[in-house]
Amino acid sequence: MGLFDEPFREVEDFLREKQGLKQIRELLLKPGLNWLEEASLILEEESALELGHPSQGSLSFLVWSQAIKKNQDRILILGPDLSELKEKKVLFGQIIRVYGSFPDEYQCYCQLRDALYQTRLKGLMVRLIPSQQVIWCRVNQTALAQGFSLSHLGWALIKKIKALSFVASVEVIFITSGKKDLNRLKPAGEKVARISGALVKMVEEKNFECESCEYWEVCEKVLELKQIRNRLNQPARR
Amino acid sequence: MMLKVVAICGKGGVGKTTVSSLIAKALFQKRDRKALIIDADPAGGLGMALGIKPRRSLSDIKNEMIGSIKKGKSDKKDIAFMGDYLIMESLTELGNLAFLSIGRPEERGCYCSINNLLRDSLKALAEKFELTLIDGEAGIEQVNRMVMRAVQFLILVSDPTVKGIQVAQAIQKVARKISPRTKAGLLLNKIRSEEELKQIRAQTKLNIIGWAPEDDTIREFDANAFSFFQLPTCPAYKGVIKALEKLKIL
Repeated sequence: MGLFDEPFREVEDFLREKQGLKQIRELLLKPGLNWLEEASLILEEESALELGHPSQGSLSFLVWSQAIKKNQDRILILGPDLSELKEKKVLFGQIIRVYGSFPDEYQCYCQLRDALYQTRLKGLMVRLIPSQQVIWCRVNQTALAQGFSLSHLGWALIKKIKALSFVASVEVIFITSGKKDLNRLKPAGEKVARISGALVKMVEEKNFECESCEYWEVCEKVLELKQIRNRLNQPARR
Repeated sequence: MMLKVVAICGKGGVGKTTVSSLIAKALFQKRDRKALIIDADPAGGLGMALGIKPRRSLSDIKNEMIGSIKKGKSDKKDIAFMGDYLIMESLTELGNLAFLSIGRPEERGCYCSINNLLRDSLKALAEKFELTLIDGEAGIEQVNRMVMRAVQFLILVSDPTVKGIQVAQAIQKVARKISPRTKAGLLLNKIRSEEELKQIRAQTKLNIIGWAPEDDTIREFDANAFSFFQLPTCPAYKGVIKALEKLKIL
């Protein structure tokens, strides 16, 4: 059992359905996907694409599983890739599934979240709020003209996340297909946000007054959270 | 060395915001640098002068972040990410310019950690711009604030009045104490004659970087709340451009 088992499974079901409908493409992890790492400031006038612009909507979350899956990284895309997009502002989903072993859930969560935020590529500007599951990326005209694609972004994310010792495999799922698909995964994203919110709160605040806690419900439901709470609460009992 | 952070200060009513608007217009016309224009005056005059309606001020962002904490969110990193996202979303962009209003603080209580997060987010963002221009609040008070520590050059604006010049001198004195490396220069505004200019030169030891004459076009734009982006080339604008060229801002 794992902390994110339920939302992980929901993503799995979604992928299975979309694969059955042949709506998902797997992008090839071929050599040459390395893109120059550099933090970019991109203003609207120079941007070619705005993925997940606040006016369009977005979804971004990360889940993990303890299932054994070594070096089976992959990038999946539902909808058109960057060069195929017809509008400048489009809705965007970036879902990441990580396989590995996660002995200290809080530390692993923080390191994974930081890895996501530290993925910086030349010609791409990313802003995200993990607790709200939103992501907003600007791709500038130069990068797009030079062939920047979701494969480059996916590969950069895989590299960054796989640099963490506890990670065995990474799967990046991009969604550009439409609101319907994004909405299907929103409940899973909300569950992830609730679980991680509870995790961070219990570790950082060390407050175990469960009756007054806004995360009480989620802690009751997710067994792993209960176990973490008991583990953290033990020294205080002595 | 190219200046990266410039602040405009001076006594209230000397034309500080007008000068900031003229600089914004000049930067927009030249279009060779990405510039962040910060309206640090809670009255929000710069936005009005440029015809910009900010979607959300930094104070609004702060209130949203405080609201999240009040709802029980304790993840500091997540709140910092939220600051980065909301600041970017709150910029009003026009070509190579991005405009941000500081707004008026409303929430009571001590929110030092939020202030620090926001300051770090703003600093990180400003560092990516090639120029940051801060239209400061009138008077000396704001010079004491942390934001001024990053300022490389202080444009002290004054009209030909003794009071205006005295406030400019006082601001420079305070700024020197806080940040000895920050340079400053006086930009005289609403000058009516060469004689008046001569008199001021004789009265002050401040480094005069330029001057703008009293100008009916500026008065007309101010009176009718026309956007300064639409301002035709007029003597005051030319005067400000000359000063900017001297400072190598243009």
